[in-house]
Amino acid sequence: MRAAAGTAPDTEPRVLARPVTERPLVWLMPLAVLLLATYVYPAIDVIRYSFTDATLLAPTFDYTLASYEAITRNPDVADILRVTFIFVVASVLFQLILGLLVAMALHRGVKRGLRGVGVVRVIILSSWIVPGVAGGIVWQLIFNEASYGFLNGILRAAALPPVAWLSDPDLAIWSAVLANVWRGTAFSMILLYAGLVVIPASLYEAAEVDGANALQQFWYITLPQLRPILLINTILISIFTLNTFDLILPLTGGGPGRATEVLALYAYNTVFRNLDLSNGAVLAVLLLAISIAFTFFYVRLLPEEK
Amino acid sequence: MLTSRRARAADIATYLAYGVICLFFAAPLLWLISLSIRTSAEVYVSDLRLWPNDPTMQNYLSALANPLFPTYLWNGLKLSIAGALGAMLFATPAAYALSRFRFRHRHLVMIGLLAFQMISPLVIMVPLYRYMDRLYLTDSHLGAAILYIAIAAPLFTWMLKGFLDGIPQSLEDAAMIDGCTRFGAFMRVVLPLSLPGLTSAFVLNAILGWSQFVIPFILISKPALQPIAVGIFNFQGTYIDTSTQLLAAASVLSIVPAVFVFLVLQRFIIGALMAGAVKG
Repeated sequence: MRAAAGTAPDTEPRVLARPVTERPLVWLMPLAVLLLATYVYPAIDVIRYSFTDATLLAPTFDYTLASYEAITRNPDVADILRVTFIFVVASVLFQLILGLLVAMALHRGVKRGLRGVGVVRVIILSSWIVPGVAGGIVWQLIFNEASYGFLNGILRAAALPPVAWLSDPDLAIWSAVLANVWRGTAFSMILLYAGLVVIPASLYEAAEVDGANALQQFWYITLPQLRPILLINTILISIFTLNTFDLILPLTGGGPGRATEVLALYAYNTVFRNLDLSNGAVLAVLLLAISIAFTFFYVRLLPEEK
Repeated sequence: MLTSRRARAADIATYLAYGVICLFFAAPLLWLISLSIRTSAEVYVSDLRLWPNDPTMQNYLSALANPLFPTYLWNGLKLSIAGALGAMLFATPAAYALSRFRFRHRHLVMIGLLAFQMISPLVIMVPLYRYMDRLYLTDSHLGAAILYIAIAAPLFTWMLKGFLDGIPQSLEDAAMIDGCTRFGAFMRVVLPLSLPGLTSAFVLNAILGWSQFVIPFILISKPALQPIAVGIFNFQGTYIDTSTQLLAAASVLSIVPAVFVFLVLQRFIIGALMAGAVKG
């Protein structure tokens, strides 16, 4: 390991001898200023607004706890949290399972030198590159209950009755989950594939010699070896899903009723539709708190850098 | 012999899995394309047919003939390039410092950058909308670009730092011994060598910028200034059900540039992403 930069002998007048470019802070300053202005200060301000009665229209406000009280009394909030919980947990679970299955199928193909693996990978990744809004529109057309809806077209071809994918309040959230899983799985696949590649082949060879079958190899080698990446993956996609609403907006607009209105969309509607800054700020603080809690877990899982 | 027959059976199973995977991931986009090349009459035919009887490019021409639509595409391009370029300016010196200097709390700075990525743009937009409004930066590409840059900069820094770690320090040391200042070595040695890393970070962030929705949706209300992601959302609001085929064509036009750039440069980007993932 090399010596710390800028450790001049103590006898020298350090401040003068050291050019500014030897100070890491100088290199970090532009980014620090940018992020302080656009993230840190606004995040603090969100917390401040949550203790006021501000609206987007009125320029002046007073400090009060009324918004926090209003949230606890608001009957919609329990529904919003329930919908958000289903959306995040189901999306994350299916993205992990599907992402792992896809990654294993691709990994096997690459190891065996099968043709067409690259094409399959590109098709999966394309769904991830599709802008969220476009993805929402695509799935709106897939679930559509008019005659051009794809899924009901399949059901019709199989002589089955149509399903109200987006207008049934109990089903709509699961339709949103399916659309989100379609878009998000590729990201999990990338991470898990990278994790599969670095598992030493010798582990499998030894298991083979000991007579372990494929399922046992998966359970006793693959899963434990992937554990750190699975955990990191879970936290990352939980936060991404929690913050998503660009997919839901064109898909259902949060409806029918409030059946697919997740926390992020509800916060957006509160601030920018109802212009209710203080109540929206409380919801934003809630989003912020959940994100920070997840980040905290994430950091504890990261390997310490040498 | 037995193992090879077993392996071949497993290969067939793998291909079957590929078939299912491709069906799930490609079918929605194929259906979108199918709808986009139909006449309005054929959108409503009730049998499930991927290739229409009477395929037409008219919907694409109609979408592009809408005076706003090319503007949406152009605005999306401008903002995503401005965001990625700006992020590069802020991220490059920071990534250099994080890769080459050993200072206290360096690890903490890396984690801090990660934390910024966890914060939803929506959260910061709540108060930022007010400041931006006061600074006359709403309905302005400058105002939106500043936030595109801020959102892209942490990821850009992480990706580039990972790449710089792979460039041997000895090259700069040699340049500095030969009389280069640190800044000179940065400009003449480090930057040229990090071109592949800069490219992949730039492309990925430009693609993410193309998809950016929350910022322009909140900040820009003038249609002539909106980027494509907001544009097609508005398109959906005005066109739905009367002309599904037009909406489908517009959506294809919004997807194609991102997917095309990604396909051309995918080896670059995937490599950089996977390298970052394994390092953790």
